[in-house]
Amino acid sequence: MSRVSFSLTRVRLIARNTLLEASRQKLFSFLLLLALGLVGGAQWFREFNFGASELKFLADLGYGAMAFFGAALTIAATAQLFFSEIDNRTALTLLAKPVWRAEFVLGKYLGVVAVTAVFCALITGLLVAMLWSRESALMREFPDSFGQGHTLRIVDLAWAGYLQWLKLTVLAAFTLLVATFSRTQLYTVVTGFFVVVICHLQYLAQDVYAQGGSTFGQVVAGVLGLMFPNFQLFNFADNVGAGVPVAWDRVARVSVYALGYVAGGCGLSVFSFRQREI
Amino acid sequence: MSTVSPDGPAIDLRGLVKDFAVGLRGVKLRAVDDLCLRVPAGQVFGLLGPNGSGKSTTIKIILGLLEATAGECRVFGVPSTQVEARVDVGYLPESPYFYRHLSGRELVRFYARICGLGGATLSARVAEVINWVGLTAAADRLVGTYSKGMLQRIGLAQALVHDPRLVILDEPTAGVDPVGSAAISELILQLKARGKTVLITSHLLTQIEDICDRVAILDRGRLILEGAVRDLVGGAERQALIVEKLSAQELEELRTWLGSRGRTLEAVEQPRARLDQIFLDRVGRSESTNREGGA
Repeated sequence: MSRVSFSLTRVRLIARNTLLEASRQKLFSFLLLLALGLVGGAQWFREFNFGASELKFLADLGYGAMAFFGAALTIAATAQLFFSEIDNRTALTLLAKPVWRAEFVLGKYLGVVAVTAVFCALITGLLVAMLWSRESALMREFPDSFGQGHTLRIVDLAWAGYLQWLKLTVLAAFTLLVATFSRTQLYTVVTGFFVVVICHLQYLAQDVYAQGGSTFGQVVAGVLGLMFPNFQLFNFADNVGAGVPVAWDRVARVSVYALGYVAGGCGLSVFSFRQREI
Repeated sequence: MSTVSPDGPAIDLRGLVKDFAVGLRGVKLRAVDDLCLRVPAGQVFGLLGPNGSGKSTTIKIILGLLEATAGECRVFGVPSTQVEARVDVGYLPESPYFYRHLSGRELVRFYARICGLGGATLSARVAEVINWVGLTAAADRLVGTYSKGMLQRIGLAQALVHDPRLVILDEPTAGVDPVGSAAISELILQLKARGKTVLITSHLLTQIEDICDRVAILDRGRLILEGAVRDLVGGAERQALIVEKLSAQELEELRTWLGSRGRTLEAVEQPRARLDQIFLDRVGRSESTNREGGA
């Protein structure tokens, strides 16, 4: 009997099936349409820019919608697509084939990542089109304010979208890790949202304790900082909306940072799922 | 890597034990208790027992979905915990639920590719097994629209698509009407004719008796009986003759004739047709197959 080695083809097949399943679910369509509607409708909210520049307001709103609905989609999709396999016992049939559990876990992960990629690409595309169109209109209206041409650069807008997606890939890895040992979908979803909050706020705890907190507090904050990624690092929307170029080296560093957490999350997920009784 | 003997048993269980931890205190529930069993290659083997007797747990251990607490489980000589043990195994779970967003053909194709099939043989093999289970007409419909019987058949197709030597069927006729059940029995006998080993669990003991070479009966995780069906149900030493109705005088003459040869007429009974047979004769197997396939 020949040895069965780890197969990227099987991982791809499982990922593609996961993407197909997600794309045919109403939740995905609903969140996508909601986010697209919010971004597309942002031009009607531009009077509420609270003193910020109009383009910056539109960019903030668009990337904010991507972050919020993207996080909801990532957590819900990861939990749903993983537990649908367990609860509906399709995992029984699949894992009864010559399939490594690692292939199953990574396939599910990549399927969710593909879902978020489609989501972010569509939102970014719409946002770029809308910002470009609005800036062109403003240039015609106020030519003196745009002496050097467009202040927004498409490539920077795309980078900001890419980094939002990168953040969601990290969130998906953490949610998947919870799903591999959790017994219920609800627990996974709730824990996933806690992870989002912690990852967005953990830098605050580090700052507070770094400025004179107790040693114990500093250690705890330090450990939290290591365990959970700092999601603020992925936010380039402020700079992009203000027309500040995105630095390549910063994108590269954040990408490596995210990759480290994705590798850690997926590795632990595989380890956790290895012994799970199905 | 283990040494694989082509002449060895398809499944070899030795001292198999499986405990589940129940509740917060982790109280152990023993689902399988010191089970020793050999399923010979090329036979149809029935695993019987009441609900909760450990049949499904045993099957899951064989498939590597559960790890045994103690003991050993080998499939064609390979420990079941290794992925290699599942290369030659097809599995139809109890009450199968497949990806509803795929069509029947897409589903079988997906599992075929998972099992490593590809190239020119892939489409041909997928079409072959779909045709074999009688679902060609419904192959391009979404699985979500399939009836229970059709789900069992597409389940059989995915289990057989990579031409495994061992096929494990967990309650393949559960919830299926007598026509579908008879069709599945026929498929199992065809598998046997092709030299496959079939391990089947079912509560339909009549069906098991008809198609199985050997059976094992489990109760509370323990093996309480195992052997060839023919030996267990007896009959090798006795015969039943079915004749047109005899008069009392003819019956007496027959009894006397048998007595003169040292034989005894043990029982005179009125043979009755089996209800499932009447049902099948009236409904018609082929007609039902067409109905399901084209529905």
